[in-house]
Amino acid sequence: MDAPTVTLRVPPLADHVTLLRTVVGGIAARRDYTLEEVDDLRMAVEEAAVLLLRHTDGTPLELRAVVEDDQLQVELSTEVATPQTVIDPSSFSWMILQALTDGLSTAVEGTTASLTLVKHRQHTDHHAEGQG
Amino acid sequence: MKTSYTREDTKDLFAQLRETGDPEIRATLARLHLPLVEYLAKRFRDRGEPLDDLIQVGSVGLLKAIDRFDLQRGVEFSTYATPTIVGELKRYFRDKGWAIRVPRRLQELSLRLNKVVATLTQQLGRSPTVSEIASHAGVSEEDVLEALESGQAYSTTSLDAPSGADDSDSPMRMDRMGEDDIALDNLEYFASLAPLIAELPERERTILFLRFFRGMTQSRIADHVGISQMHVSRLLTRILEFLRRGMDNGDASF
Repeated sequence: MDAPTVTLRVPPLADHVTLLRTVVGGIAARRDYTLEEVDDLRMAVEEAAVLLLRHTDGTPLELRAVVEDDQLQVELSTEVATPQTVIDPSSFSWMILQALTDGLSTAVEGTTASLTLVKHRQHTDHHAEGQG
Repeated sequence: MKTSYTREDTKDLFAQLRETGDPEIRATLARLHLPLVEYLAKRFRDRGEPLDDLIQVGSVGLLKAIDRFDLQRGVEFSTYATPTIVGELKRYFRDKGWAIRVPRRLQELSLRLNKVVATLTQQLGRSPTVSEIASHAGVSEEDVLEALESGQAYSTTSLDAPSGADDSDSPMRMDRMGEDDIALDNLEYFASLAPLIAELPERERTILFLRFFRGMTQSRIADHVGISQMHVSRLLTRILEFLRRGMDNGDASF
């Protein structure tokens, strides 16, 4: 079975970045991520969303959170006016995102630019019960 | 409480401390002046923070004052230390920054959770999960999430103010902060960011460095800097926001 997936689409405005952050934080918290992991994710989502906002052509920001057993994969995407990567791997943002996540990738397909963040769940004590 | 030391004792102790650097003497000086910290902390008591926390915050100011005090200046130590201690207390409230927006109920819960998080982190040897925090505090997970969110949501304005309002007199010297120079070197690699980073108060710069260059966890940074993990979390969020906004204004690539 496919991993449960949460999607959310918001207007490309800074006001809505908080919402994306809250949703991802909420998912992670309910999946028994530790407080620091939740926090890392929230910060990473915000950072990624802001990056995309800088490049969007005005279409909504889309968030897709794939909730897997031991990791959460969050993809943020939007349409860009000129197809180009939204983040330079030598930038400060990239370094921040790397420090906050366990996996990081960026892609451009056609006019859709995306950033994908992966966060592992370290603390898995409650995990087995949750599957019952 | 009446203390029995005299001004001369204080002067002698400072003279010895400067000569020997003996941490025992530093501790004695701190102990002798704790009543000053308590007195000043009480002035902030009506702001809804536990007095113990305020005394702890004020003590940080006291230690800074002890490390910076120059006998040659010819002023009494207590005169010298008072603005530093008050500055530290003010900064604490400024960092918390949740003057009006956050309902009192959430403020109180957030403060309580702060302690629960610290206790659990100690017990578990790692950061706790939301459900652990909820069951330990006897509140729902929803409440915990709401409180955490509110802790993040309050004012982000204080970093906009020019830095160093309280500590512009001399660079902040934290005992275990030998990294500061390294921090600057590393951060300045991102040339376009350097002016912004230079605007950050030293403590924020240190936190930024430890988290993103050293990969230190929030809890470890909390221990290192002497504030709570949730406080570190709030500061990190604000630092990033500050840098982002600065970059937007400066039209540089982040």
